[in-house]
Amino acid sequence: MRNSAVILLTVLFLVPSVEARAQPSFEQRRQRLIEVVAGERDRSFFTVTAKLVTGKDKEFAIQMLDSLTTDQSIGGMFYSYAAIGSYLRLRDQLPDSLKAKMRNSFRERTMYRGDTENHWVMYYTGLYLAAQTWPNEGRSQWYNGKSSDENFREAEEWLNLWFKTSSTIGQGEFDSPTYFITFITPVLTLYEFASDPVMKRRAQMMADLLFADFAVEHLNGNYCGGHSRDYPEDIMNPLSAPAALWAWLYFGEPQFELWQETRYRPRHRGGWETVFGAMSSYRLPEIIYSIATDRSTPYVHTETKRVRNIIRFGLEKNPPVYKYTYMTRHYALGSLQGGILQPIQQHTWDVTFASDKPYNTIFTLHPFYSGKELAMFFPEEQKFLSDEVDRYHKIYTNPNKWNSSSPFEQTFQHKNTILVLYNIDKGITHPHIDGFFPKNLDERSIDPSGWIFCRMGATYVAFYSLRPYEWIEEEINWRWRSFELMNCIVVEVGSSDEEGPFEQFKRNLQARSPALTGGGRNPTIEYTTRSGDHMKFTFNGPRLLNGKPVNFAEYKFFNGPYLHSERKSGVVTMTYKNHVRELDFDKATIKEWQKLQ
Amino acid sequence: MDGLNRSSLWLTALVAVSLGSVDLYAQESTVYASVVSTKLFVVGAANPQTGLFSLRSSGDTTWQHTGPHNIRAFGMAVHTPSRGRLVCIASGNGVHKTTDAGTTWKITTGWEITEVLWVSIDPRTPEVMFCATPYGVYRTINGGTTWEEKTKGVQQRFTSSVVIDHSNSSTIYCSTEDGVYRSNDGAETWFRTGLNVGGVRVVVQHPKNADVLLAGTDDHGIYITRNGGKYWEKTEAGLDHSTFYSIAFDPQNPQTLYAGGYVTGVYKSTDGGVSWRRTNSGLTNLNIHSIAVDPTNGDRVFAGTQWGGVFRSDDGGSTWRSAGLSGSQVWAITVQPF
Repeated sequence: MRNSAVILLTVLFLVPSVEARAQPSFEQRRQRLIEVVAGERDRSFFTVTAKLVTGKDKEFAIQMLDSLTTDQSIGGMFYSYAAIGSYLRLRDQLPDSLKAKMRNSFRERTMYRGDTENHWVMYYTGLYLAAQTWPNEGRSQWYNGKSSDENFREAEEWLNLWFKTSSTIGQGEFDSPTYFITFITPVLTLYEFASDPVMKRRAQMMADLLFADFAVEHLNGNYCGGHSRDYPEDIMNPLSAPAALWAWLYFGEPQFELWQETRYRPRHRGGWETVFGAMSSYRLPEIIYSIATDRSTPYVHTETKRVRNIIRFGLEKNPPVYKYTYMTRHYALGSLQGGILQPIQQHTWDVTFASDKPYNTIFTLHPFYSGKELAMFFPEEQKFLSDEVDRYHKIYTNPNKWNSSSPFEQTFQHKNTILVLYNIDKGITHPHIDGFFPKNLDERSIDPSGWIFCRMGATYVAFYSLRPYEWIEEEINWRWRSFELMNCIVVEVGSSDEEGPFEQFKRNLQARSPALTGGGRNPTIEYTTRSGDHMKFTFNGPRLLNGKPVNFAEYKFFNGPYLHSERKSGVVTMTYKNHVRELDFDKATIKEWQKLQ
Repeated sequence: MDGLNRSSLWLTALVAVSLGSVDLYAQESTVYASVVSTKLFVVGAANPQTGLFSLRSSGDTTWQHTGPHNIRAFGMAVHTPSRGRLVCIASGNGVHKTTDAGTTWKITTGWEITEVLWVSIDPRTPEVMFCATPYGVYRTINGGTTWEEKTKGVQQRFTSSVVIDHSNSSTIYCSTEDGVYRSNDGAETWFRTGLNVGGVRVVVQHPKNADVLLAGTDDHGIYITRNGGKYWEKTEAGLDHSTFYSIAFDPQNPQTLYAGGYVTGVYKSTDGGVSWRRTNSGLTNLNIHSIAVDPTNGDRVFAGTQWGGVFRSDDGGSTWRSAGLSGSQVWAITVQPF
């Protein structure tokens, strides 16, 4: 874009005047979603708002809203943004007594701010809009003893800090199919109701950024690649993740209504947060829609994020996370570099199939847990943290869990090939590696060469384990398990587009295998891909591609054909064909222009 | 709560006037406990059975809640000279403060200060307060109107406790991830004392001899200094455990101390921390996070546990019984002489 050879079209203008036209079917989808949610009976601010916006079950909805307002079981951060979002959407039709009750709730109920990034976004969005809605009120009128003005300024300051951080070094809770809703929903609520045009613009830009970040790793409704946090059921069945419904609404994929199938029905806290998007005046820029849906050409996309705040046992507060994703129309292969990047729910790598079948993924992990890992991120006593986390996540210490970070797992990906190296310390509680292979693969065979060949639709996966393993049959999947402390997994992915018949893909791999060329404390693996690229990977050491070191320090904030940003620049550029959209977070400006071809 | 304070204030005043000594408080005192969470805790959901609770020491197990619920209340500080009118809670939301014994509260901190683990009020100048957070120590000199980060000289900032020297308010100690630090200039600058083991969880000061301090650590036991932190020695006699979150002096008889931590139950020392013995009879939860001795009656000791609520002893730790807040994670506890 900045290359002098590129001639800029003279059309260069500042947004907010840029409102990309609605996608052809977006209007229908959003109306459809509002209607569907309005017919739901589950008790949430989202269903209530849909009911009252459509005039459906009005009396029942008012009663439900009244009960939600006094429901102490809803955490402060979840309550605050959803309550004020409903209030601002519905205030013209609510009885005065209920409006007063909702206002009083911001005085009488304690709003816990929470201890994660998504909590704070929800909390401060709620506080910002509440303080804007009820200005000039004294300290006695707010739950925290601060005046409207104090609350507004504090919320504004933090939200601006979050925009800056997220647009320069990335989110800590990045690219989460589960937690996406806890960012996009408050951001769209802020966009919808912020009176300050600058805040409104920043919220619009943040929504653009969240959607663009999703779009580049989106495939048929799936949020692909490595994730900071995800629930196991969503990892195993990616279209059941809350982000999928947002993909359906804004990207038009998958092309079926997710809620029609029980396994894809939204379930997280009612799960109908997406209806706030459907009711929002925010419109997805066409360029993001195109980026999300055009998979005609395979591409590599890399980006940097940040580790969630490390509060002890680390020298750096937010070390970078390096993401690598290879996208095609049939599949995606994506990864984080490995190690502990996020406690509890990390998903380091996977293959995602562009299939309408459920369980359309393959991945491996080491089920690690430790109080010290948790204490890196939480202030409570490390001796108790594992138990405490297990009280609500249930699976943290479980040897069969399907989400985990591990200091004993590292990856090296090049296009559609990944090496996953495990080097587990002796004495670790769960000294095994697990792999998820869905039973509904069209084919799964163990080749005499040692390769495990799998096919789902037009996508082919070849999986090689350097060391012995076993299979465990489970309800929806085969669990591949290796008890080797040191092991290396090689995964090559292809499709009929690249390989022709599946048998050809197999033949291309049968003679290949990784080699352990360095042992000891930090093993070295070498492997030559079917494309002829030589990968050499040392645990806690260099990654060499055709003899040249991969330098993570050179990773951009975003880098790929569609999304580009230098780290810490605050400028994010989207490109699709000759269409360019630039978000400048420092200046709070959005520019769009077209390049001459 | 407020009514109790008023009556105890009159009683205290009467005793103080007639006997002319603040050491001769009435037998009645008030126990404060801060509850982080309970067994019912669900992330993101409200948890009303948390926050600050108080109990009359001669009373039963019925605790009164005061202040905000659902805040992940870690530490708290009660300003003794104001007889509990000034109280602060260190919580996930920041530092909450009341100046009217809990009738009204304000969060004095902004977004910058979070997950506050400890708060200390200077008893002589209550406008000066310190709080300990995972991001270091913060200080206010105007009662919380503004707070400033005070971490110059501190390497690993995770801080879990702050002590204001009772003999000199310019001397401050804090326990951090890489040892005990000391400041001689009111926290403007810090230097590490002779104790540089990892994971110091708490530091406490002898109530009369300001040079004597003890530190409880994660995995490294208990250390004692007798020269304001210059040299520390490990106190091991009788200790079969290594992780200690709480150490408490008997204010009337500082040769007597209690200590507790991870699966330790309660240890007692009667020789100033040189040797220890376990004293757990009746204690059904051995994970101790907080201990306090009644300043009006050294036989009365309270221990806050991890998800087991509060236990009390009325015989100097020989026997224990449940004192309520069952299922609670009691991060801090204090007994006040009013």
